Amino acid sequence: MSDFVSVDKLTLAYGDAVAVPELSFGIGKGELIALLGPSGCGKTTTMRAIAGLMTPKSGTIRIDGRDVTRLAPSLREVGLVFQSYALFPHLTVFENVAFGLKMRKAPNIRERVMAGLDSVGLRDFANRLTPDLSGGQQQRVSLARSLVVEPKVLLLDEPLSNLDARLRLEMQMVLKDIQKTTGVTMIFVTHDQSEALALADRIVLMKDGRIVQSGLAEEMYSAPRSRFAADFFGFENILPGRDGGLLAWRPTAIRLGDGPHEGTIRGMSFGGDYRTYVIDSTLGEIKGSVRAGLPAFGEGEKVRFDLPEGEAVRLEAA
Amino acid sequence: MKPSSTATGTIIGLTLVFLIGPFIVIILAALTAGNNLAFPPDGLSLKWFIKVFTVESFRISFLISMFLAVFGTLTALIVGVPAAYAIARYDIPGAGAIQLAVSSPLIVPGIIVGLALLRYLVIPTGFTIMAALFLAHAALILPYAVRVVTSSLQNLRVDVEEAALILGCSRLGSFFRVVFPNIRGGILAAFILGFVTSFNQVPVSLFLSGPGVRTLPIDMLAYMETTYDPSVAALACLLAIMSVGIVFLAERFLGFSRYV
Repeated sequence: MSDFVSVDKLTLAYGDAVAVPELSFGIGKGELIALLGPSGCGKTTTMRAIAGLMTPKSGTIRIDGRDVTRLAPSLREVGLVFQSYALFPHLTVFENVAFGLKMRKAPNIRERVMAGLDSVGLRDFANRLTPDLSGGQQQRVSLARSLVVEPKVLLLDEPLSNLDARLRLEMQMVLKDIQKTTGVTMIFVTHDQSEALALADRIVLMKDGRIVQSGLAEEMYSAPRSRFAADFFGFENILPGRDGGLLAWRPTAIRLGDGPHEGTIRGMSFGGDYRTYVIDSTLGEIKGSVRAGLPAFGEGEKVRFDLPEGEAVRLEAA
Repeated sequence: MKPSSTATGTIIGLTLVFLIGPFIVIILAALTAGNNLAFPPDGLSLKWFIKVFTVESFRISFLISMFLAVFGTLTALIVGVPAAYAIARYDIPGAGAIQLAVSSPLIVPGIIVGLALLRYLVIPTGFTIMAALFLAHAALILPYAVRVVTSSLQNLRVDVEEAALILGCSRLGSFFRVVFPNIRGGILAAFILGFVTSFNQVPVSLFLSGPGVRTLPIDMLAYMETTYDPSVAALACLLAIMSVGIVFLAERFLGFSRYV
């Protein structure tokens, strides 16, 4: 019961269709966790339930020891940065950020709003209307709007997926910084494993409303336990081992040019540092990467390869 | 084959003549200096425009029409905005049936509505003509109110309301603080559309008239039956100018055509 946010046997349904059956997990104070999974896995539904935008069928949600399961969203002390940002189109940047403070009749609204805008680098935009801002700026307004009311939990829906590579890195820094300076507990939802790895302390991987695996980001990346998790984290070669269990290799773990197996190159994609080849072989389709500096194979060329067992990750479950 | 531009031009030209032609005829007929409603006019003068303001029944029926248009539309909006909100936001059972019921005043011929209200409401219950007129006009405007407001609600993302809830609003609070300011344009557009519809309404009002209670268009018809002078044309001009003026201002300040 020491978890700051705890979700216990939470069941969420749309009418009769159960999206999330009996989900349980806990989050420590100040943690930054990712709910990761393909679309339809229930991650967004779970986040909406924590925010109070969806009423659970059963189960409980606690925040800081308080049962908030049936509490109105306005009383939960959570913030939510929507994927679409959901800024109020009829209000200026300043008024958007001030909205929550006004609802709480908080003192010193002006100073707090300006401090909030400062923290996301938008002080000079206070009097602009929000539809005139770029996507990245709108997101920062949305972030400031959620943070000025000092929520206990900050929820973020796909916070990086609408941004280009440069802005993504910038937003990552902003979020990490917020975590450090405010100590707010953050939960973000994403379908992109690279976003989850880049940002989260801990990752909760979901499929069909259930948790497949959860753990520290590095642990998830290097030691997936199931076929689904391995596949999600880029182990593109999953084959049965000699003992009947499953072994998984990343394309970079495959050795090309030499080895006991042979196949035919079917295609190649250039990824900067690596060339990744798709090889047809008796083992099925194999994906192997070679450093871009090394000599390239041609399409249709026969190639020998090795699946070094020492580089494989052993999977516990199918 | 590409239609030739002369053919297109001719069709557009004819359409405009048919649309605007009668209006021009009425204006010129109203400006006549003679005593008969005639075209072309017999000399030019503004005397019939001045005459309009001296006819007492016009003054009364103008006020009645004004009253019906303003308060009928307000009533339709008070009922229609929540209905539009429910249709746009909730997956309510029988939404299709509700929408059809709301639109029925558009489908049922007005003359039948008027007759039915007279025969089955006013005569048996002693409901006043004025009350029946009010009811009929409000019902007639309702479909416009619901439609226009629904479409402007559909342009407002749901998550904007959710954001307001999370930031501390109640459901009702989020409607007034966030939804209303963003559909204000649509509501104003619905008001103007309703106002003009009500003001120009003839068939429903035709049966619903009694001693001293007539809407302006009905009063004009009655006037023409007894007095065939150009003052009706002058009044028609004034009403047309009023309608055009309202729509022009609405377009200018609201972009009215976005909503209709």
